[in-house]
Amino acid sequence: MPEDTVTEGPETEGVEPVGSVVLATDNGHKWWHRWFRTPAELRELGVVGINMRNARFLLPNNPRRLYDLVDNKLRTKALAEAEGMSVAETYGVLRTPHDANIVEKILAGRDAFVIKPTRGSGGKGIMVIDKRSGKNFVKPSGAEVTPADLKNHVSNILAGLYSLGGKRDFALIEYRVQPARLLTALSFQGAPDIRVVMLHGYPVMAMLRASTKESDGRSNLHQGALGIGIDIATGMSVRAIHHGRPLTHHPDLGVHLIGVQLPEWDTILSMAVTCHEMTGLGYLGVDIMMDETKGPLMIEVNARPGLAIQMANGIGLLKRLEPVVEQHRRRPGADLATKIAFSKKHFRAKLPPPRDPS
Amino acid sequence: MSAQAKLLTAVVGLVAVGGGLAAYKTRVLSVPFFEGERIEEWLVEAKVSFLATGREVKARLSLPAVAVEKGGGQESGSLGYSYNVENDRGEYTAVWSSQARDEGQALYYRVRFKQGLASGGEPQAATETPKPPDVPKLPGSLGVAAQNIVTRAKSVSADPDSLFVAMFDQINSANSSQEYVLVKRHYEKEGMATPNITMGIDLLGLAGIPARLAYGVNLNEENSGQVPVALLEYYDGAFWKIRNPLEPSKILDGREVFVWHRGGGPLLEVSGGVENSQVTFTVVKDRLPLATLTDLRDSPFLVSTILSLPASERAVFRYIVLIPLGAFVVVLMRNIIGIPTLGTFMPVLLALALLEIKPVQGIVMFSILVGAGLWFRFLLSRMNLLVVPRVAACVVIVTLLMMLMGVISSQLGLSVGIKITLFPMIIIAWTLERMSLIWEEEGKRSALIQVMGSLFVAVCAYYFMKVSQIQYWAFYFPEMLLILLAGILIIGRYTGYRISELIRFKTFSNA
Repeated sequence: MPEDTVTEGPETEGVEPVGSVVLATDNGHKWWHRWFRTPAELRELGVVGINMRNARFLLPNNPRRLYDLVDNKLRTKALAEAEGMSVAETYGVLRTPHDANIVEKILAGRDAFVIKPTRGSGGKGIMVIDKRSGKNFVKPSGAEVTPADLKNHVSNILAGLYSLGGKRDFALIEYRVQPARLLTALSFQGAPDIRVVMLHGYPVMAMLRASTKESDGRSNLHQGALGIGIDIATGMSVRAIHHGRPLTHHPDLGVHLIGVQLPEWDTILSMAVTCHEMTGLGYLGVDIMMDETKGPLMIEVNARPGLAIQMANGIGLLKRLEPVVEQHRRRPGADLATKIAFSKKHFRAKLPPPRDPS
Repeated sequence: MSAQAKLLTAVVGLVAVGGGLAAYKTRVLSVPFFEGERIEEWLVEAKVSFLATGREVKARLSLPAVAVEKGGGQESGSLGYSYNVENDRGEYTAVWSSQARDEGQALYYRVRFKQGLASGGEPQAATETPKPPDVPKLPGSLGVAAQNIVTRAKSVSADPDSLFVAMFDQINSANSSQEYVLVKRHYEKEGMATPNITMGIDLLGLAGIPARLAYGVNLNEENSGQVPVALLEYYDGAFWKIRNPLEPSKILDGREVFVWHRGGGPLLEVSGGVENSQVTFTVVKDRLPLATLTDLRDSPFLVSTILSLPASERAVFRYIVLIPLGAFVVVLMRNIIGIPTLGTFMPVLLALALLEIKPVQGIVMFSILVGAGLWFRFLLSRMNLLVVPRVAACVVIVTLLMMLMGVISSQLGLSVGIKITLFPMIIIAWTLERMSLIWEEEGKRSALIQVMGSLFVAVCAYYFMKVSQIQYWAFYFPEMLLILLAGILIIGRYTGYRISELIRFKTFSNA
């Protein structure tokens, strides 16, 4: 293999222009990188594994009793509204089988809405309705849903089909976010959402998740959605991955994914930090959607954010978490503005990406 | 104290207690630490149980003469009963008696002997020639039929042995002659516990061969609390011989059956107005010499642990002590290697089921059932059923599938004998539900990966639990489980990468 002979020793960091088509020209490429990375290499890159995330960041910083605040969307929303944060408007909460029968009455006059379980996880059980067609409802994919289907879906939610641990649950009906056009352009169906991961209230990493044909409107990375790394300092997209491999253009739409500036980035960051303050969770991920008219809306808080975000940003989480731990130790009582300023200063992406002229 | 220090203290403490107890056992009580050479002694425990009604109680249990005479170990356990062994011309009987007793009573009698040494079923020279048997007269046509059977059987057999075989072959056969069927019906109608054997005894009597009932115990560990096996003893002119009427042509094998009672008298007699008296047997293969075991049993409970329990209760722990081992394998596989599984401890349950069913059959069966069940489950999901009824429907379908598999495999003459208990049944129904949910939510790929992962982990756990040295430690040194616990605690603080993550992050590159 010719690559073997190019360089020895540690990998040179980020000298390639990120906007170029060949993104991942690792100079330290070794034959085994086709199959795996050694633990020493991953440690060098600062990659955080699940065991480390749980033992070092989740368990000590997220007390069990606080989980219900974020696992129950009704409580999260109530907290957020008390803080004056923008959230999707609640149209109604269905609590009993009787409510399920009158769901149509509750929905009278609403053409677009979302039904979700209050204790769902990983996007399970969420039904999005865009418009009506006669008696039926229409999903974004164009599939029609009959009122009976809708009732059945609500009954399943109430029976706990989608809830954590199968407990009985409530169904939440809320405003259907009209995703900002800037973002829908990056996504094949489905609305992209922004995930900000924080430790002790310091935003450490952010990404945008956009769906592809393969992911079928869903935004889970392992199902084939795109992870687009966002620069904490500027809110600009710096890198994109699909199944762990970097790319520059959307595989289905062909649009350029790098160098896109997210609007209202400062609002997004302060929303995220407020979520930390209102829940008390030390390590968390906040999901935010960008509405065309209402701006950023907080969708949910996740107490166990995944690790794919470091792949999307091409930076090991540990490289960001360790400085925060140190900073938090030195200045435990820092306020929101100070924290954001710290993150913006220290977690700036190395190369401001040039906007592709095409 | 920091978390780290707490962990360290706990680990050191657990290892010290576990290791210390194990060391004490090996050093002071000289329990062999390694399995070493198999001594393999059988321990047969008879448990006499009955409901006393407040009166004076007396129980007599016939004992195996071989075990008493050859001086293998024997002992009895019974609190508050006076106990002695009666010897009546070579026939031994244990006698327990006590004043006013109430409620459920249990008396134990244990016999130990080396494997294959003595089955107690050898031909025995008769001390006196038995009187010609007197046979109950069968009425009318039955009597004629019985007489015909005997005449015909006598004409084709040379001696009592072949007569016995010929007779019982016919009795056991499904398509025996009209006359057999007629006589058999009569005995079945009489409502006796063992109609076939009583009929055999009477027919042999008609042919002039004295025969009587004997009882044996299957030397099979799986079957704890077994009822005595009815055997038949007959006189061939010089010796009393014993055979199993279900396998008439087979000489009794001392490695499979131990003859507990012969000589015709009752096996168990309980007097004093008691109810529900019965005797059950539990067989355990012991790998420790008797002297060591007795020392152990007399030690404080921390040292003796499960070995101080009666055999019937100890047998339960044979599988239970293996569960922590399976759990350890799961921890290893999930947290160090990173194999995804359906649910955390489902693979342990599956591995336990494999211990009962044998791995290849078990996995084939599991795959067929899950595959077929999943297909039905998708048919069900079209009907938009609610969760609980849907799980219930799954359970019903899995039950039917299991019945179907049992019938088909027996029709095909596969002697695999699908031993499906309630236990794998629950695992399968639950797996189905869980898998179909994941199938819908995350796609078939992750559902298949997770079910494969579970199977793989279950097989690993199975092979780990199967190692006989490990079984030996778990059973005779249960305190070693504390060391295992310490190991699990250490893994609980492992913050390094999982092996799966080395692959997951293989494309990781710096931005």
